[in-house]
Amino acid sequence: MATQTESQYSRYKEEFSSFLTDTWIGYAFVIPATVLLAVVIGYPTLRGLYLAFFEVSLLNPEQMEFVGLQHFRALAADPIFKAALWHTVLLTALAVSFQYLLGLGLALALKEKVPGAGIFRSLSMVTWVMPIIVMVIIFRFMVQNGFGPVNIILDSLGMRTTYWFGEPGVAFPLIVVMHVWRNVPFYAISLLAAMNSIPKEQYEAARLDGAGPLERFRYVTLPQISYVSMIMIVLHVTFTFKNFDIVYLSTGGGPLGNTEVLATYVYKQAFEQYALGYGASIGVVMLILMLTFTIVYVKLEEVD
Amino acid sequence: MATSTDPEDRNLSQRIDAWLDEDMSPRRAIGVYLVLGLYFAFLLLPVVYMVLASFTSQSFLFSPELVPALGDLTLANYETVLSRGDFRTYFYNSMIVATSTTLLVLTVGILAGYSMSRFDYPGRGGLLYAFLSTQMLPIVLILIPFYILMFSLNLVDSLLGIVIAHSVIGIPLGTWLLKGYIDDIPESLDEAAKMDGCSHLSVLRRVIVPLAMPGIAVAGFYTFILSWNDYLLVSVLSQTAGTRTLPFGLQLFQSQNAVAWNLLITAAVITMAPVILLFAVAQRWVVEGLASGGMKGN
Repeated sequence: MATQTESQYSRYKEEFSSFLTDTWIGYAFVIPATVLLAVVIGYPTLRGLYLAFFEVSLLNPEQMEFVGLQHFRALAADPIFKAALWHTVLLTALAVSFQYLLGLGLALALKEKVPGAGIFRSLSMVTWVMPIIVMVIIFRFMVQNGFGPVNIILDSLGMRTTYWFGEPGVAFPLIVVMHVWRNVPFYAISLLAAMNSIPKEQYEAARLDGAGPLERFRYVTLPQISYVSMIMIVLHVTFTFKNFDIVYLSTGGGPLGNTEVLATYVYKQAFEQYALGYGASIGVVMLILMLTFTIVYVKLEEVD
Repeated sequence: MATSTDPEDRNLSQRIDAWLDEDMSPRRAIGVYLVLGLYFAFLLLPVVYMVLASFTSQSFLFSPELVPALGDLTLANYETVLSRGDFRTYFYNSMIVATSTTLLVLTVGILAGYSMSRFDYPGRGGLLYAFLSTQMLPIVLILIPFYILMFSLNLVDSLLGIVIAHSVIGIPLGTWLLKGYIDDIPESLDEAAKMDGCSHLSVLRRVIVPLAMPGIAVAGFYTFILSWNDYLLVSVLSQTAGTRTLPFGLQLFQSQNAVAWNLLITAAVITMAPVILLFAVAQRWVVEGLASGGMKGN
């Protein structure tokens, strides 16, 4: 009797200590990544959020004056901020819509079993792989006045030529085109993978029920790619919304502030106007908008 | 389709049928090729044109001609760009930074992914969520505190500082991808290895790493291009030519008033060539892996 409880006790002890060591080893393995992220991303983020409530200059970052919500009140009256917010929302909405529709189209075309489809599939990712600065150089080169291929063609058609990134009304659509150009292949490849994982029998069953190609797409394909679609859309809404270098490197926010977005406005406030606190408050607004979007979208998708 | 009576004709239609998949009519195939042609004209013509233009003489480049003659082709731009010592330094820096970043992210990512996949401890789920939520932060918001931090750690204007900056951008998605692949490895394999007396580290080395290779290839590729392509962080951290990488170094060929377009596009081709070559080698895993990565959470 006594020996039995003793052995039971020692078994519990063994399990408990193995639970403890396993837990500690688990922590030990995850610590390097966690510490790196906490120090290099976590700390600056908290610091950035904190700065939004202070008046502080890049020239003398030690001297801080608490101003409460004053920056946020100033934002509400800042016409450049309001324009940048509108451009950011419009850019995100247009870019992601076109990316999704064109990506879906490309996925459907790549799904067809024509000879050579594999080559097309591999080639498609080139625009997504290259550095953003190279993409911007390509587009700026294309629309150079006098020798850019787009203008050479326009000229031969007897149309107006100019450096199109410098043209109000054209610069903004060009930024949308760059976002679409870069990311359509990634949508296509991801949606294609989702489509290929749909069992063939479901299409056969729908066909037997008399569903045409459009109905099969609507009732078999669409519902089964909705999860990947959600991932793609959330990923690219946040990417487009916070993206800095596509606008900064191509137009710098010009011409005449026509393409100014929130990210470039934060950068200019902080690094050109030295207004760290004001810049940080714009960053806080960006973060709040993105979090709200993500939470609402994911919740809506769950309800479906 | 096979109702044709003319023997010549039947021969041809049989050949096309054999060449095409059974559900694919030639008419449908033509339609598909047409659509793919339009897409790839949009996506690839600009790239192809830039590569072609980088092999032409300056006089052709600045002329209002669209298509170069054979005599316009030259390697002169490449000779000029590659003969510049500073440009070669940028290239080596890019190689060092992207390779080191990839190794660092894979090391800490495999450890973290293994931990999150195999161990159960308080805070595990929240941690992965916290990792991923860093992807949502606008980098411009953290740029200044980040710069001040790197400055106080003496990491400004050093390649190590750039490697650390790129790594923390790559770790969250890298860890998430690797965790997904490790989840797919049956746990009975680790148990068997542990029975044979393997420690956790040797289970990782002998079982997990070999079996998660496709996932490691995907995470490694993703990290390499993220690091290779970065402009913003390098532009903040690099203060002298000795620590510039290629994307930031391209400004070498453009000043406020003048752009040496022939050299700039040539340097741009050289800048994108390694990642495109790497993609060509790795695309077998990468295309499937990136795509299925998105579905892992399902």
